Amino acid sequence: MTTPTETPFAEFAETNGAYYADVFLKIQKSALGRFHINTAALFGSFIWAALRANWTLFLIGFVIDLIALVNLSLYFKYAGAAIENADKEFLVNRYETWAQGHIISALVVFVLGRLLFGWLADRLYVKQYSKWRIDRATPSGFSLSRLGMAGLIVLLIVPLMLYRSSQFAPDERSCIRQDRAIAAGEEVPFKAKFDCFMIGEFPTLIWIDRPDKVTYPRDDNGERTVLRTPAREGAPPVTLSTFVADKIDNGIGYLTVFYGVFFDGITVFLRVMLNAISAVFVGTPWMIAMGVLTFAAYAAAGTRIAVFVGVSLFYLAIFGFWQAAMDTLSLVAAASIICVVAGLPLGIWVGKSERGRAIFTPVLDVMQTIPSFVYLLPAIAFFSIGKPPGILATVIFAMPPMVRLTALGLQQVPETTKEAALAFGANPRQLLTKVELPLAMPSIMAGINQVVMMSLSMVVIAALIGAGGMGYIVTEALENTETGRGILAGAGIALLAMMIDKVVQRASNKT
Amino acid sequence: MTAAQKDVVVCKNVWKIFGDRADEAMAAVRAENLSKAEVLDRFGCVVGVRDVSISVGEGEIFCIMGLSGSGKSTLVRHINRLIEPTSGDILINGTNVGDLGPEALREMRADKIGMVFQNMSLLPHRTVRDNIAFSLELRNVDAFTRTQLADKVIDLVSLQGYGDRYPAQLSGGMQQRVGLARAMAADPDILLMDEPFSALDPLIRRGLQDEFLELSRTMKKTTLFITHDLDEAIRMGNRIAIMKDGEIVQIGTPEEIVTEPADQYVSDFVAGISKLKLVFAHTVMQPVAAYETAGKTVPPVADCPTANPEDDLDTLVGLVVDQSNPIVIQDAGQTVGVVTKDALLHAIKGEG
Repeated sequence: MTTPTETPFAEFAETNGAYYADVFLKIQKSALGRFHINTAALFGSFIWAALRANWTLFLIGFVIDLIALVNLSLYFKYAGAAIENADKEFLVNRYETWAQGHIISALVVFVLGRLLFGWLADRLYVKQYSKWRIDRATPSGFSLSRLGMAGLIVLLIVPLMLYRSSQFAPDERSCIRQDRAIAAGEEVPFKAKFDCFMIGEFPTLIWIDRPDKVTYPRDDNGERTVLRTPAREGAPPVTLSTFVADKIDNGIGYLTVFYGVFFDGITVFLRVMLNAISAVFVGTPWMIAMGVLTFAAYAAAGTRIAVFVGVSLFYLAIFGFWQAAMDTLSLVAAASIICVVAGLPLGIWVGKSERGRAIFTPVLDVMQTIPSFVYLLPAIAFFSIGKPPGILATVIFAMPPMVRLTALGLQQVPETTKEAALAFGANPRQLLTKVELPLAMPSIMAGINQVVMMSLSMVVIAALIGAGGMGYIVTEALENTETGRGILAGAGIALLAMMIDKVVQRASNKT
Repeated sequence: MTAAQKDVVVCKNVWKIFGDRADEAMAAVRAENLSKAEVLDRFGCVVGVRDVSISVGEGEIFCIMGLSGSGKSTLVRHINRLIEPTSGDILINGTNVGDLGPEALREMRADKIGMVFQNMSLLPHRTVRDNIAFSLELRNVDAFTRTQLADKVIDLVSLQGYGDRYPAQLSGGMQQRVGLARAMAADPDILLMDEPFSALDPLIRRGLQDEFLELSRTMKKTTLFITHDLDEAIRMGNRIAIMKDGEIVQIGTPEEIVTEPADQYVSDFVAGISKLKLVFAHTVMQPVAAYETAGKTVPPVADCPTANPEDDLDTLVGLVVDQSNPIVIQDAGQTVGVVTKDALLHAIKGEG
């Protein structure tokens, strides 16, 4: 029946073995037609995949058919709605457009999806064969018993999906109203309750009494006190989200009122530092600043980059962004300096101490995953608006790569090199300064580059809380829809970024 | 060679057990004399060094030979306390290394002990000269003196003109010269050489071995030389310790190791070794009386090639070629023994 080479394929496929032996052989010889399609899979789709116990293909086929089915159901829903609202022309128009969209989607997804599935079928099925060759416990062959499993999955998913797509979902507000009505003892039809629970927004499961309102007025001696005002009798309960948000607000309020000195101290420090830096950038006549910056670029990174820097600075100047650009540079410099000064020792700690790593790895993960906008909120809450909170948000945003790359660099120093240094009598400080840090230098430099680049991007965003600079021009342009000016400023920021990146990168490669 | 001079490095019953439960395992090994496999099984601990006692005399080259995992690198790291022993003492010039405080230990490492590593472990960001002067720099020697001393050692290992290069610009053999120079820069009494030539190709290795022997003859440094290569051990060592599974199987001169292997493990090792330069006439000769009891007579001495008891087999082979008479061994004009061709051939094969 089959030749010896075909036997294992046929044994694997069982039913219709000769066909699969032929196809698999062609795949192994790279001789399968480019448009080869498995007809059984094309028509059988996920049922075929279930019979063959290929659950990857089952998932692909099922999702394709489900999308088509849901679109079909949506078509009927909107077509029906168009007829129901025949008296309102604008509704009819809207529903008919939607219905058309859905029927087209349904057809396209179904036809293309099935073709794709038929095309994929043998190409993925052969992978199951490879797995089976290694591990004979891998399901193989053709078995009707697997239909039960497939049927169960379909039954669990399809009815609810169809119900959801054929019904108009209630909005969140009406569901909340309904919750209150139920709490007040009113009768609500089962369908309405079911709809709110299953097909709307995730149901509000937790209702909490409104928390006390907390204020911090001064007493007769001028001291701040904590004053709690209970919610008015009979006030409706609030959701968990509102409750926790309220508590956070109270906490922040408490800290700013009673530990304001601490935050003010930080603000003063940042402002002094920034003033010193911007005295250099902003306070210098443009001609001198431009010359010095270009020369610095030449000294650090060579002629080509110096020319680029010169041209970029000229662009910024001629389009009237000089002051703003220098403002931005001052902010970047201030933030970067803080990041490096604080990040280097932290990185050394994380790189050398097990405990440092345990504490900081999750903190850094969180710092890097939180979207940059979110940092603006606590900055405003504790430090109000202006440049200092802008720098602070920037520092938090830009510090992680410094810590991480310093730690990484230290960890990559070969154990044997450290051992050699110890064998020659190095003490811990000498080991760090004469062996570990020099060997980690490339990584640390990469960290500094990252810090500077990330500071720039965050400083632009920090314009939203009044940090000024180039970002302010862009936000202003956004508010007043001055597209042209916005584009010019945007290009200026891009030039600033490229300038800094190129110079820092070259300079760090030189060391 | 007899190590009659004072002992510079002494290890007394040194044990090293790696693992979280090392102390427990140590107690159990003491009480029940567990094997390496049993310790691993019961405590999840690895026995690195097992009850090793050695003493190395002044100016001696002491080879520690063993396959990878036999504990030889671990043992040698106890001497400058890069590894702390689980039990046992290490004495250097009579000072117990375990009793030294951190600063005294660093001082000893910098001044008394130089170490050479298999992978060189040079600092890539420093020039050859600064690498060599590293241990001096750690002791806060001023830059001028440092450079002077380093240049002297550079001459010693024939790296003239390479002082201002970076290690990456040098070949493997030259890098290991730098490693050697770095170890000798502070003029230490003791050299620890951890498979220094293993990573080099055979010709360069041989050249460096010769140079090192030459150096050590003039500098008189007490050397612990680790190798996994028996040929190298025999070439370099005044004495050889053979290690297996953390234990020392045999300690002896190269000739003792080759002619009287302590057990099957050692004899398997030495089976392939050429005896020509290692075995001497006094070992293979038959006393005249015994020769004559076997019913043979010694031909007149004038007709026989003659040799000294200290001549090696290689010399004897040269004498016996084209001769029908046996070699007569004479010590101070007295005939002390006879070596026949057959006896010589047996000795070369390592039999009898």
